[in-house]
Parts: sequence; structure tokens; C-alpha cells
Amino acid sequence: MKIIGEKINGTRKRVAAAIAERDQTYIQELAAKQSEAGANWLDVNAGTHPAQEPADLTWLIETIQAVVETPLCLDSANPAALQTVLPVVKKTPMINSISGEPERLEKILPIVAEHGCEVIALAMDDKKIPKTTEKRMEIIDNILAATRAAGVPDGKVYVDPLVMTIATENQSANIACDTIRAVHEKYPDVHFTMGLSNISFGLPARSYINRGFLTLAMGAGLDSAIMDPLDREIQAAILAAELLLGKDRHCLNYVRASRKGVFDQPIT
Amino acid sequence: MSQELIDAITDMREDDVLRITNELLDGGASPLDILNACKAAMEVIGQRFETGEAFIPELILAGEMMTAVSDILKPRMAEAAASDKLGKIVLGTVEGDIHDIAKDIVVFMLDLNGFEVTDLGVDVPAAKFVEAVQETGATIVGLSGFLTLAYDPMKETVAALRENGLNVKIMIGGGQIDEQIRDYTGADAYGRDAMAAVALAKEWVKES
Repeated sequence: MKIIGEKINGTRKRVAAAIAERDQTYIQELAAKQSEAGANWLDVNAGTHPAQEPADLTWLIETIQAVVETPLCLDSANPAALQTVLPVVKKTPMINSISGEPERLEKILPIVAEHGCEVIALAMDDKKIPKTTEKRMEIIDNILAATRAAGVPDGKVYVDPLVMTIATENQSANIACDTIRAVHEKYPDVHFTMGLSNISFGLPARSYINRGFLTLAMGAGLDSAIMDPLDREIQAAILAAELLLGKDRHCLNYVRASRKGVFDQPIT
Repeated sequence: MSQELIDAITDMREDDVLRITNELLDGGASPLDILNACKAAMEVIGQRFETGEAFIPELILAGEMMTAVSDILKPRMAEAAASDKLGKIVLGTVEGDIHDIAKDIVVFMLDLNGFEVTDLGVDVPAAKFVEAVQETGATIVGLSGFLTLAYDPMKETVAALRENGLNVKIMIGGGQIDEQIRDYTGADAYGRDAMAAVALAKEWVKES
């Protein structure tokens, strides 16, 4: 299970302030902590106006790269911003994201192909998120046709099946898991990712829902997630799920984590 | 007013709600009494939602229970139905934005408080708002938007409604909206939550 650390996101108020004030210390601390906690990528989202985005993203990237070597996940739908910042990125980044929207495919895919990036593909088009697995599959078919045509190998594509909040859509976890299974069946090399916490929006005691959903989704084939790597409860749930899915030989990771005290903190 | 019915609704006991409603009617209770009990119960649920004691799925279930109860009542109060509405409102999430949860709650609370609400859904172009107001004769329009990208479409929608000479009061809401954005879009008012939308709508129908 790979982790895309979600914390450096300009739509969060504290991060937005740090970007506006060019507060390097705050951003570098977020980067270092997430990397230490095992993030495989650090998501970088400036959350600013398109005109301001290239400058803000460049600053964020340089600030982060000064303290950690963890690869970045460039979170922007703005091709101009991506083009501007790519030359300053040291390790081949992941791009977050493309969708079935033709304009996004046309403008962002060539960048992905040229730089050999990994890319997150959202199972939606022109702003609409389909309700059924079948419709999401149609969009994924279109995206995969486009990525293949652009020369991006399936193994670099991370499909996000898009989970809706279960408070308003009772079948949303099932739809997301079914989508993962269906895509995996048809495109065995494709990876998966998603934002975990959306599922529990509007409900109490969210962390139980997030953990339960993570386990079900991993059972369906989820192999990465956009999440807070500092969340020990989720980290513990990942270890348990990998163990139960037979991906932890001799249960070594689980036992080692236990010795390291990963499970010691009481679950709140 | 039946406390038993109010309790059944606020406790989310769907089967009991229908059973009690039928029993009350068979016992000679008037449909209006039942509606009043429903309203009292929904106010309790609305307050609980505001204070974080009730949750979105319960609002949805409560809405379903209200529909079921009114289906039972309708044949018994045919003439009372539409004419009792406080006023007509057209509501939707503006073009470019697809957030619906908060908008759905506002629609629900307005409906519950006696307004006839036409819900246009999400990603609604300005022309569709204009068309809906012309068709329904609504006097109030609600524009919802969560993203900062929604402010320009809100402004355009307000302008389109005014240009077409429609005599409507316009409220906006969602996300970070404040007085400055209200001023930018040209709307008449903004509301922070569903209860604020209800208060505004009630105030406006009283004025007119």
C-alpha cells in the first residue's frame, strides 16, 4: 500500500496562509513529518488562482525539495502551471490528475507522456460523476484508450474510482469497490488511489468509517491512498488489512510494527 | 397535537410514524393536526442537525417519512394542498459547481417550512434559472455554490434574472460566502446555513 501525503494543500487555511506569507518552516515541517511517517509521494496543491498558481507551486516545490527527497504528486488541473514547474522538480513526479474531460486529456497527457510521470485518472468527465459502476467504467475505457495512445504504460496510471459521501449515497462504498474490481479485471496493470475521508463526510465518529472503508477497498484492490500519513489509526488499519489479504509474509511487518509501538497509542 | 407521533418522527421510527398516522386519522384526528405534529418534529430534527446531534442521513430519512405521511394525508385534504404554500422558490447550484449536499439541506428545510421549492439540481446555467422563474412564477431565487469559481456564475445569474425583468429576491449561500461576495454578485442577501435561508424566505414573503 502506497501513501500520497495529503497535507500540503492550499485549500487548507493554515497552508494557504503559509503560501501567502512564504512561510518555509511550516511547509518544510509538513514535508518532513509526512516523509518520516512513510509517505511515498507528497501531494502539492497551491489552491490558488490560476494566474498565481505557477509561482506558488514553484515556491512550494523548491521549499519542499530543500528538506526531503520524497517524490511529489503535483496536484493541479492547470497545464500551464504544470509546464512551468516541471523543470524544477527533481524526481519524476506523479500528476494529479486527468479525467475523461477531453480538454484535460489533450493538454495534460502529453506532459505526462513526455516526462514519464505517473498519473491519477478520475472516473468522471466534464464535471459529472456517474452514479453507476458501468458508467464509470465507460469513462475509464476512454481514459485508458487515450493514455495508451499517448504512450503512457498502464502501470503508471492510478485510477481514482471517486467515492461519494455515504451520508447521501448509501451504495457509494459498494460502487467504489465494484469499480476497482471491474477496472482491475480489465486492466490488470493499472493501480488505484483515492481520497479516503470523503466517504464519512457529515457523519459522527468518522475514523471508524474511514478505516472500515479502507479495509474493504484494499480487499477490492486499492493499492494506494491520498491520506494523512501521520494518522496512526489508518496506518494500523493498513497493516492489518495487508496482513489479512496475505500480503505480509510471516506477518513480519505487522509484528515489527507492534514492536515499534505503532499500536500502543490508544485508539480514540 | 400527538406527542406520540412527534416522538416517533424524531426517533426515526419509520414504521411507527405510518402506523400512528393511520391510527390518529382513524380516530378522527384532522389532517392539519398531523401536519402540525410533523412540523413540530421537523423543527426538533432541524435544531438537532444545527447542534450536531442529528446527521445528514437522518435528514434524508425524515424527508422520506414526511413524503410518506403526506401521501396518506393527501386524499383526505385534496383541496388544502397547494394553496397553503407560503411562497414559491427556485433553487440550484450555479454553473461550474456540482456540490449538492448543503443545497439539498436548504431545499429540504424550505420545503418543510411550507415553501414550494423547485430544485434545479447542480451545474445550473443562468438561463435555466430565468426559465424556471418564468415557468413557476417564483418570487424567490436561491443560488448555491461551494467553490470560489461559483462567484462569477452567481453574478451572471443575478444579472440574467434582473435583465429579464424578473421581480425576484435573490439569496446566495455556500462555502465561504460573506457580505463582500454578496455585494460582488449583486444578490439581495446571503445566508450561512439552511435555517438562515428559511428566515430570509419567510421575511421576504411577509414583505411582498
